[in-house]
Amino acid sequence: MDNLVLLSVVDIALLIAGLAFYLFVVGGQLKRVATNLEECAGLVRTIKGHAHVIAPGVEHINRTGGVVAGALPLLYGMAEGIVAGVSPQPDPTRPPARPASGVRRSRLHESVGYNPGRMSGEAGQTNHDLIAG
Amino acid sequence: MRGTSTLALTPTQHDLWVGAIIGGLVIVVAVAALLTILVLLVRRIDKRVVMVRDSLRAAAANTADTALIGETAKRVDAVLAEGLQHHLFLGRVLDKVRS
Repeated sequence: MDNLVLLSVVDIALLIAGLAFYLFVVGGQLKRVATNLEECAGLVRTIKGHAHVIAPGVEHINRTGGVVAGALPLLYGMAEGIVAGVSPQPDPTRPPARPASGVRRSRLHESVGYNPGRMSGEAGQTNHDLIAG
Repeated sequence: MRGTSTLALTPTQHDLWVGAIIGGLVIVVAVAALLTILVLLVRRIDKRVVMVRDSLRAAAANTADTALIGETAKRVDAVLAEGLQHHLFLGRVLDKVRS
């Protein structure tokens, strides 16, 4: 009888002690988790604040960059017009310059015995014959 | 007169009591096992939360420079204004060259 009572008390005490121990351990762990989650929440708010300026800033940059990109062809078109305006242009009506003494006929071919103008008048001779003499 | 009294139990009641004690011990062991599993799971949650916190710290460090985007937008506006000045200058020069 006394043993049964003692065992019952021990049983109940074990249950209560086990529950208390595990609840203490789990409570400590959950407290640490809660602290970390609070820090995570703060970090998320910080990141949200950082990201808040991204969209309008990038949109502004894109809009301005589009304007700049659209104006650049106009700028280099104007620069090309300036370059074409200040470059000297040849007069298309003026012929190429020739010497005032006139153009002389070249005698280089005749000096080596080659005269294609006279070759056509003599029958039976080839160019090799004429060159060979 | 004695201060204690003994309670007479029938064998059935005794057996039931012993069974209740054994059942209680089994329940204690089961509760301990389940609470051990709970502790392990909470420990895993704690580790994962620490990993999430570290990732958020890195993300916060990465996004800390987003404040420079506004400054960049101002500088791009300055580039646009300077380009307009170039446009006006080239327009004046082009008119002089053409005339």
